[in-house]
Amino acid sequence: MDLENQKRVKEFAEKFGPENVVVVLGAGEGEAAGLAAETVTAGDPTFAGPLAGVSLGLKVYHICEPELKVEIDEAVYDEQISMMEMVLDVDDIVNEMTAIREQYTKY
Amino acid sequence: MSILKGKNVIVIGDRDGIPAPAIEECVATAGGNVVFASTECFV
Amino acid sequence: MSGNAVVKGASYVLVHAPDFVINYGTTQTVERIVNPDSDYLKALNSSIRSYEQVLAYPPNQVYLGNLTPKDLEDFEFPWYDKQVADAKRFGKFGELMPEDEFIALMQICDAFDLVVLEENFVAKTKEKLTKHPLITESMLSKLKDGQSLEAIKEYISEYNAEPLYFEREIVGYVKRAHEIDVNLSAEVLLENLAYKASGVLALLHLINNSGIDREAVDYVIDCSEEACGDMNQRGGGNFAKAQAEMVGLINATGSDTRSFCAGPAHAIIEASALVKSGTFDNVVVFAGGAVAKLGMNGKDHVKKNIPILEDVMGGFAVLISKNDGVNPEINLDIVGRHTIGTGSSPQAVISSLVTDPLDRAGLRITDIDKFAAEMQNPDITKPAGAGDVPEANYKMIAALGVKRGELERADILNFVKNHGMKGWAPTQGHIPSGVPYLGFAREEILEGRIKKAMIIGKGSLFLGRMTNLFDGVSFVLQENSKEAQTEDLKVSVKEVIEPLIGIVAEDSELGKDNVLEAISLAENKGYRAILIEGEEAHKKMDEMLRRKEIDAAVTMNYSFPIGVSTVGRVITPGRGREMFIATTTGTSATDRAEAMVKNAIYGIIAAKASGVKEPTIGIANIDGARQAEKALRELQQKGYDIKFAESARKDGGVVMRGNDLLAGTADVMVMDSLTGNLMIKLFSAFTTGGSYESVGYGYGPGIGEGYDKIVLIVSRASGAPVIAGAIEYATQLVKNNCLKLAADEFAKANRSGLKQILDGLKERKTAATEEEVKPPAKEIVTVEIPGIEIMDIEDAAKTLWAEGIYAETGMGCTGPVVLVSEANEAKAIEILTKAGYIN
Repeated sequence: MDLENQKRVKEFAEKFGPENVVVVLGAGEGEAAGLAAETVTAGDPTFAGPLAGVSLGLKVYHICEPELKVEIDEAVYDEQISMMEMVLDVDDIVNEMTAIREQYTKY
Repeated sequence: MSILKGKNVIVIGDRDGIPAPAIEECVATAGGNVVFASTECFV
Repeated sequence: MSGNAVVKGASYVLVHAPDFVINYGTTQTVERIVNPDSDYLKALNSSIRSYEQVLAYPPNQVYLGNLTPKDLEDFEFPWYDKQVADAKRFGKFGELMPEDEFIALMQICDAFDLVVLEENFVAKTKEKLTKHPLITESMLSKLKDGQSLEAIKEYISEYNAEPLYFEREIVGYVKRAHEIDVNLSAEVLLENLAYKASGVLALLHLINNSGIDREAVDYVIDCSEEACGDMNQRGGGNFAKAQAEMVGLINATGSDTRSFCAGPAHAIIEASALVKSGTFDNVVVFAGGAVAKLGMNGKDHVKKNIPILEDVMGGFAVLISKNDGVNPEINLDIVGRHTIGTGSSPQAVISSLVTDPLDRAGLRITDIDKFAAEMQNPDITKPAGAGDVPEANYKMIAALGVKRGELERADILNFVKNHGMKGWAPTQGHIPSGVPYLGFAREEILEGRIKKAMIIGKGSLFLGRMTNLFDGVSFVLQENSKEAQTEDLKVSVKEVIEPLIGIVAEDSELGKDNVLEAISLAENKGYRAILIEGEEAHKKMDEMLRRKEIDAAVTMNYSFPIGVSTVGRVITPGRGREMFIATTTGTSATDRAEAMVKNAIYGIIAAKASGVKEPTIGIANIDGARQAEKALRELQQKGYDIKFAESARKDGGVVMRGNDLLAGTADVMVMDSLTGNLMIKLFSAFTTGGSYESVGYGYGPGIGEGYDKIVLIVSRASGAPVIAGAIEYATQLVKNNCLKLAADEFAKANRSGLKQILDGLKERKTAATEEEVKPPAKEIVTVEIPGIEIMDIEDAAKTLWAEGIYAETGMGCTGPVVLVSEANEAKAIEILTKAGYIN
């Protein structure tokens, strides 16, 4: 994840308390989604950014995951996301995200 | 329990997946409070 | 010819840049700051590919044109461990340049002595470059003798220069151009010089591939993501002209177009519009490569035990030209655009770029044979978690088709296979953005294998932190409709009605009856003319010309602006041949020789517009003839097509004696307009005793660059047959579209350096009258001194030379400037103030 973005995630987690923060991702691939999710939960796996060795354990979802989708206005979701559902490998993304959450999310 | 409602939401979009502004619109309808949104670019 | 612009040629080049990856790619430079002991940095060296490996890499061979995008499908994915058996450095689109030759090319492209190279490296590399088919002698001559390695290392450590490496060893450096300004730091200049050199390489190959005459290029657009300028104008720009200068596109002006990765698509639409509107005939859109992006996803590659695949800089160039009835057209009626109001959801973006323009044109997604959006090589992006970008784009287009009911969901993968391609372009930002396919698309359309291709450029504006907006534009390349030619046919069918010629002859010494007789003589031959009478008849005539109520006019005592003179047409008594006298009234230029050179061109225009296909030119044996001859021969040498006549006298030559005038040896006889005036009166009235001009076509049309009406002159002594001749002459000029022909002819002459040649004539004159001042030794001049009158600017520079200060003249943002070195600034200002050039 971009170093500046890592820095902001860390700051907001400290400011609001990690239990009150949710990260929503839009990654184009399962693997990239997993890496980003790992960064905001277990810490930066590339050890390059401010989250290296910092385990925030934040709640993290990809926008295409069903749990999130049900909370969103259907018309807006259709307009903004539905086409990409056909493009992305949603199953792969869901598997990656679920695995990371089960392992590292604390809240 | 709802995931987004009343929560401070950080959006990390992807230029070649779903960009942040599209996610922001969705999160807003679910009652989430977007505190930061950024789109990453790998190309 | 009107109609859409065409793609006349394309080039694609790569530069092998492993040492730039290690030292200057931002992923590596950032890592060195954040994590200097990282495993990644340790693994870097062993993850670098050799030139041979990079050359044999299948996507690179596609980029150069040695393989097609279709061939890429035959290589099993991933590709980094596959090799093309007979990989070649040069392909039909360009080449893969080795790093050492490229570093030398950077010095060739350096105008400010910023690149210094090591002596042995220069010697070795110069020998290699000598064998390069496109690097000319004059480019090679810009390579400077090298310095010792010791001196180089000393300079680097003392002055913060950026070292240049080849095979991991220091072979030179790039200096900083300012101590404080980060925009002129050594690092930025290294990036910009590498960018410039790779763009120059693309231009060289485009000229070679398309066969275009360098002097025929009118405009160049650089469309990269790079920026050049100093701290006061960080994005000042015009990389375009800096690069075009290196390859001698002397008649081109240009500018830079920016929109992140979408830049090239924007630039091609701009270029096509400039050509379609008739503003320019040949526009080149091009870009070099980005040093910063080298090894951008290197960490992911190394982590997965893949070599660093982002080890080449890319470059491309495309020639957009006037419709030739052959090459594929850029259809400007189908232009997709992401507007500010479009929004950034992927479906809004794709709709705006793909389906909206197709809807406007009444086409379906499947009417486009091939789409080219972002042609990034998936071998590079997949391991980095960015997926297969081209495939994602094709899926998006197909998914949109499903939402619109044009496709079944089950057809998505088929659509991707049939209307898409595997990506082969390096991840160099603007390079992969749709344009890599233009070269192939042009060929496939020419060969009839596809009819329509859509090129889509997309850009991430949010990276600049100025807006969250996305960006993109798209256009369609399609088979040439040949409409351009049919339009020309239509014109000739439509014009069955003869043009109408207006006549103003208030001042005729021969009376109104003479004019009426002329009109009836002309009408008997099928021509149409009307008499314009009354007060302010000339004003009326101009009005009628403006409103196109008449197509041309014949008149007397009409004043033309300076620069315009008339080409008379006579029947020579010796052989009864027609001859054009260039010129007979008006002033082409105040300098005699200059006027005669222009008159020759005016004569060619008039003759061609009267149906003489390849007029021969003779120069009357008068003062200035030899100078005019020399200038015209120079013009011919530089590419302007002139057929010189040969005197009928025994000793021949292009300079015509009196005998040749009588015989009509040349189609166009060039002279100054006072002599011409004398001649035409002689030729028209020699049988009548002088008071009545009875033969020929009169004094002819006023011709000059930019002059936009057809007005022919007769004299107060012109008899009815001559006025009738003038009506016939006028009719021919209208029918043969004299004004367009003139514009084309001037354009051709200008491309061949007419202006410079004319300036040369003038300069010789001034130089002869003034004391010779020799310039002091040339040095780099960067300080602009403004405030000097344009007429005095050259004298001001010479005044400084006389005082031992080297100075150049130029055009600054606010007017003419004298340029001197920083060291000489104060003294120069003092001298110029004292001499009264500045206040």
